[in-house]
Amino acid sequence: MKLSMGPQHPVTSHFRFILDVDGDAVLNFEWDVGYTHRGIEKMAENRIYIQNIPVVERINSYCDAIGTTLGYVEVVEELTGIEIPERAKYLRVIAAELNRIASHLYAVSLVGISAGFETMLMWTINDRELILDLLVKLSGQRITYTYPTIGGVRWDMPDGFKEDALKRLDYLEKRLEDYYKMMAWNRTFQMRFKNVGILKPSDAVKLGIVGPNLRASGVKADVRKDEPYEVYDRFDFEVPTGKNGDSFDRASMRLKEIEQSIVILRQALKDIPKGPIKGSPKGSKIPPTAPRGEAYSRVESARGEFGYYLVSDGKSKPYRLKISTPSFRNLPALPHLCRNVPLGDIPVIFITFDYIPLDVDR
Amino acid sequence: MLSKVRERLMNIKFLRRILNWGRAWSLWSVHLETGCCGPEDMGRACARFDTERFGTLPFPTLRECDLLFITGLVTKKMAKRVRMIYDQMPDPKYVIAIGECAATGGFYWDSYSVVQGVDRVIPVDVYVPGCPPRPEAWIQGIKMLQEKIKKEGIDEK
Repeated sequence: MKLSMGPQHPVTSHFRFILDVDGDAVLNFEWDVGYTHRGIEKMAENRIYIQNIPVVERINSYCDAIGTTLGYVEVVEELTGIEIPERAKYLRVIAAELNRIASHLYAVSLVGISAGFETMLMWTINDRELILDLLVKLSGQRITYTYPTIGGVRWDMPDGFKEDALKRLDYLEKRLEDYYKMMAWNRTFQMRFKNVGILKPSDAVKLGIVGPNLRASGVKADVRKDEPYEVYDRFDFEVPTGKNGDSFDRASMRLKEIEQSIVILRQALKDIPKGPIKGSPKGSKIPPTAPRGEAYSRVESARGEFGYYLVSDGKSKPYRLKISTPSFRNLPALPHLCRNVPLGDIPVIFITFDYIPLDVDR
Repeated sequence: MLSKVRERLMNIKFLRRILNWGRAWSLWSVHLETGCCGPEDMGRACARFDTERFGTLPFPTLRECDLLFITGLVTKKMAKRVRMIYDQMPDPKYVIAIGECAATGGFYWDSYSVVQGVDRVIPVDVYVPGCPPRPEAWIQGIKMLQEKIKKEGIDEK
């Protein structure tokens, strides 16, 4: 029997699945994507470079807006050869890591609610608000920040930001222990998530999975370590990996990454130098046009690797902006895993991959 | 016969007020995410902003809901589903359009696949502008809808 799930469903958000079911067993899983296709790549061709920052931000304004815009501004800077001030680099890292924490907390809350675990939803969303407060202080917005701009960042840290941030990070670190307890000591949660949807490392690499989902399978791959951008090479942090690659590992991977983000943030807040936040250090102005050529940039957003490929024909607008997004790359995992599993496991497997439909469809 | 009695009763202002009061404070919302305002939907429903104070509870089954939040942009593919979901909801039903894109197409004015305003597909009661609106703005939208419901059937008589 064919069963259609979504788009009006508490778990699937904008997706629709077409499932072949036999009784309770799912035999085949098919995606139906495209409910949020907006033609971002085409829109980007009609706007000048600086106008495109909010456009590309809407690919993933859902949660990880800083990671998304960071990739775009980096590709433009690479093409135009702009060097940005040191302080701006640190501010970008601070904003990106704060956003990563907010995004992962959101993902963990979804994991909780997909299993009917409402306490987890309430706790994590409430702690996410604390991080969003910091981002509001930094940029003025809760979700769509438009914080990195070509040649730096838009605003400097306000007074008292550092102390406030450190205080909140201390609190969050304490809360992480509670989350671990909630996951690891809760037998119901374990029965629901352990040994469900096991993705082997060889399969994960073959399918092209990226980000925390790949690391949960035990493959150590992180753009921040492999190909450091901004100032990530100056920080001392680890890339956490999982053991089994099951849903439990993928869910707890988010908490481990939050831990590492706190480590990075503490170092960044301590080391941040004084100076300007925008513009080339030599004092040259940022040109409105990019030279003829092409450039590529990779960044590690909360969901995995973002790739931007920019082709310029020397005018003020991009000739082509091709974007490769992490959720789109993670799509093949579900048809691979959702064969001969009970129907009740589909939401659990789906939600631990932390898909964002907006960045699948663009 | 019954419907006539009901109509008579509803014409009594006192009874109508009680009915409207009940409707205004039990607006259960459908879980339908159409665009990027989705995470704010979570934000407004959870601990800090908690719209359940105003009787707005997110609910999975649309057959028991009377409020539909359009969270952000609506694409042409989604528009058909939005209409289907709206038709399946029982009367009385209300719609709040969240965000610029749901109101006018906003940011995506030159996109080929975005419906320029959800009011081309379904009737809208309250518009909440912003990209995305803060949870306080959502609460204001809910309060405005409540005011509208409280006046229903009373003003014209």
